[in-house]
Amino acid sequence: MALIGVRARPGAIAVARRLAGHLARGLAMILVVTSVNFVIIRNIPGDPIAARYEKLVEQGMSPDQAERATAVLYGFLPKGSLWEQYADYMGGLLTLDLGQSLSTPGAEVTGMLAAAATWTVIPVLAGTLLSFLLGVTMGVYAAIRRSGRLGDVLAISGSLLHGVPQYVLALLLGAIFTTLWPILPGSGTADIMIEPGLSVEYAGSLIQHATLPVLTYALASYGGWILAMKSSVVTVLGDDFILAAELRGLTRGIIFRYVARNAILPLFTILALSLGLLFGGAIFIERIFTYPGLGLLLLDSITGRDYALMGGAFLLITVAIVIANIVADMLYTVIDPRVRSGEESA
Amino acid sequence: MKRLAAVAALLSLAAVTACSSATTPGTSSGGGGGGVYTTIDGLRAGIDANAPINPFNPKGNAFRGYNSMWLGWTKNHLTDPNQFYPGIAESWEIAPDQSSITLRLQPANKWSDGRPVTAEDVKVSIGLAYTQGGTAYALDPAVSGTASDVEVIDERTIKITQSAENPSVTFVRGVMETVIVPAHVWGSLLPADFWDKLKTARGDGAEAEAARTEITGLAEKVIAFAPAEDVSAGPFTLERVNPGEALLVKNRHFHNAANVAPDQVKLLHYAGNEQIWNYLIAGRLDNAPFTAVPAEVMKRIVRTPGNGVVKGYSPVGNALAFNQSKKPYDNVHVRRALAYLIDREQVTKVASPEGGIASVTTSGMHQKAAAEWLGDAFTTLEPYKADPAKAEEELKAAGMKKEGGKWAMPDGSPWKMSIHVPAPFSDWLAGAKSVASQLGDAGIDAEVVTTADYPLYLEELAAGKYDTGFWLVALGPAPYNIYQRLYGTPNGWQLFGGKLKHVAPGKEGNWMGGPETVEVDGEKVNPGELAVKLNSAPEAEQKEIIGTLAKAANQDLPVIQMWDYVNTQFVNTSRFTGFPQAESDALRLTSGVWIQLGMIKKK
Repeated sequence: MALIGVRARPGAIAVARRLAGHLARGLAMILVVTSVNFVIIRNIPGDPIAARYEKLVEQGMSPDQAERATAVLYGFLPKGSLWEQYADYMGGLLTLDLGQSLSTPGAEVTGMLAAAATWTVIPVLAGTLLSFLLGVTMGVYAAIRRSGRLGDVLAISGSLLHGVPQYVLALLLGAIFTTLWPILPGSGTADIMIEPGLSVEYAGSLIQHATLPVLTYALASYGGWILAMKSSVVTVLGDDFILAAELRGLTRGIIFRYVARNAILPLFTILALSLGLLFGGAIFIERIFTYPGLGLLLLDSITGRDYALMGGAFLLITVAIVIANIVADMLYTVIDPRVRSGEESA
Repeated sequence: MKRLAAVAALLSLAAVTACSSATTPGTSSGGGGGGVYTTIDGLRAGIDANAPINPFNPKGNAFRGYNSMWLGWTKNHLTDPNQFYPGIAESWEIAPDQSSITLRLQPANKWSDGRPVTAEDVKVSIGLAYTQGGTAYALDPAVSGTASDVEVIDERTIKITQSAENPSVTFVRGVMETVIVPAHVWGSLLPADFWDKLKTARGDGAEAEAARTEITGLAEKVIAFAPAEDVSAGPFTLERVNPGEALLVKNRHFHNAANVAPDQVKLLHYAGNEQIWNYLIAGRLDNAPFTAVPAEVMKRIVRTPGNGVVKGYSPVGNALAFNQSKKPYDNVHVRRALAYLIDREQVTKVASPEGGIASVTTSGMHQKAAAEWLGDAFTTLEPYKADPAKAEEELKAAGMKKEGGKWAMPDGSPWKMSIHVPAPFSDWLAGAKSVASQLGDAGIDAEVVTTADYPLYLEELAAGKYDTGFWLVALGPAPYNIYQRLYGTPNGWQLFGGKLKHVAPGKEGNWMGGPETVEVDGEKVNPGELAVKLNSAPEAEQKEIIGTLAKAANQDLPVIQMWDYVNTQFVNTSRFTGFPQAESDALRLTSGVWIQLGMIKKK
């Protein structure tokens, strides 16, 4: 026991040191990206208030009335010099105050992001994990049976799906399941006629509305997983330890486990990064299915030149990617003994 | 156990994501027929579940005609902007000189919480409107067409007086379009001394300025105000909203509740026209307000059982506008030549076959309004029918040179005409491409340049970055509004505190760069001054001014009108009937207004 304790201690310290380094670099990265974003966002051309003015005039309001009616919106634009705005913004970040929205005047950006994140994270997470599990499993089979018909079918299906853009898949699925064979809702998050709450009916409606976005996420990334896994498995199959296992007469099941465990390592990194990227939402998918997640929110904020909302959305994406990178790296340390032992010996 | 955890997690998600819900004590089913009426809000794209139930908020979940009420509903009249259907007001008397309007409120109307709708509610609503500065309410006394006094006569009667300093014919409309909210919910936003402050603000000097600042300072508070629940005086109240839909239920306290057919109204979210097309093709919508639709999609929409199209007047036109501070568009002969080269019928057929009709000519007005205002004089305007020979004459008169079948600038340098449009406006883009193609056939090197979105387009247009670009004109029905598009801020005329000034091209939003004075029938006129006069002139004088401005626009062509919009609406008669007929003056109003007026019946 004492021996184990002695051995574990330097390992834990190495991991903690590694984590601390990652966190410091991550914070620096967030600070830099947030500052760059701030400058870029403030310099995006376009006049959202002029667009609102035009809308009012179009609806019959006189130009002077529309001018007065839109003047109030200037109150929601950032005030002061760029430096003052920057100081305000960074000060606000410390208290998680991302300011107020311009397109929905008065609404807190933090609340809007939180509301939208729910509609992105859960479906994208479900879709990504579904495609990962399927893709990895099928990838192993495609590699093992690469000389047979099943291997060909799996590889071709992977290549085809990998080559089809997400929005094409979304449109296709939408056309099939909402128009040709209308069994699924094509937009929204739940049937408004059902009282929200802890009921099977409402949960069913949520699942029904999330089906098409989740299916699109899953199919869109499935091809990538199957191809990556197949390639990784084929590489591992050529390793000496597999040959040794075969010569030792180990069963196919055990060899399969050896192969899968080793081949999946690089995919975990990609998975962790994919999960970080999911905070960016899938703009096309959310737009096509009117699914009000972060992607759609980001799109709307850019169209409406909602600086505060844009800044908040980009910040969330940045933080998510930085965290995903850290998690991917730490995960590697945990699941790959070679990395761990390398750290310990260092 | 794992399965149980999964179900529990899902149900928790359901609870967490349960969207804002408003309890509505004054709601009930029954009466009028029942059923769910499904539509979209054509006044703004999308439903924002984060937005408050606030009619002053551009994204507020207060839907005009349903749970958000005006004093009266403006009729879609060709020439008169002051005709209304009853709203919160049952009747009204307008002083002959439009110096005041006295409104009598609906006698039996109540808020959805059962309290009566009173003149005090109207007064508080007007106070809130002053903080926003829209419609008839401005703090600056020199601004035209604003209210100077609000007097509660009795519980059901209120009189609003127009400022005598700078009266306008738009005052009455401004008053009628006042959003009315309950004083017992919103009243606390106004300080106790608000009306004294307002009186001071409408004066002169430092004290007035301080009062104006104080009142304007309330604006953000008002626009961001989020009542805990919907208290509506309309036919419906908001029950709940999620990011994809809003549900409104019938308000049994509404004065005309017995004639309100649907029990519920469902408003669907949309982010673009293609989603509305899908809803229509699926037969989900009982009504969709004006939506641009390509011919192929239109065929699919009308194939859906129950779907039909109702068309009517829409006081909006589309034009190719020139920046006259750029060569060769400063030369009227060039502009005329372009007008003779463009076959507007062809452009309209390509760009807006269902939602537009080719402009008869350029007058600054929609052809229907122009015919009404100008009478026979409309037919005397130059129609600029496609005529390549005349175009060639005009280009030669401008000194342009034709070499190798291509037109060049007078000094022989190449002439490249860039036509700008915002990329998301598919009809404008198709129209611009058709124009470029026609001009190309005539030897003019024309290209279409798209801008990523409308806010950017407007900014670059105002900054004078474009030579030519598509632009909305003829925005009526008020003649003042119509001619502000041609002879207002975009063309250098600015109205400050009742005083008009003309700024140089390229400055302060003057991107059209036209001359300050033009000659019409041998007389020098200032079109900007005439356009401003339309705000206060009596009808006979308005006619005269419109005649002059139409001639000025027709001869000088600051824009070439392409097509006049047609209000193309979609209705589905499978569930409800009684929709307005073609050319009805109610067509530009929301379904909520049709329903509250008792027009819509359950099938």
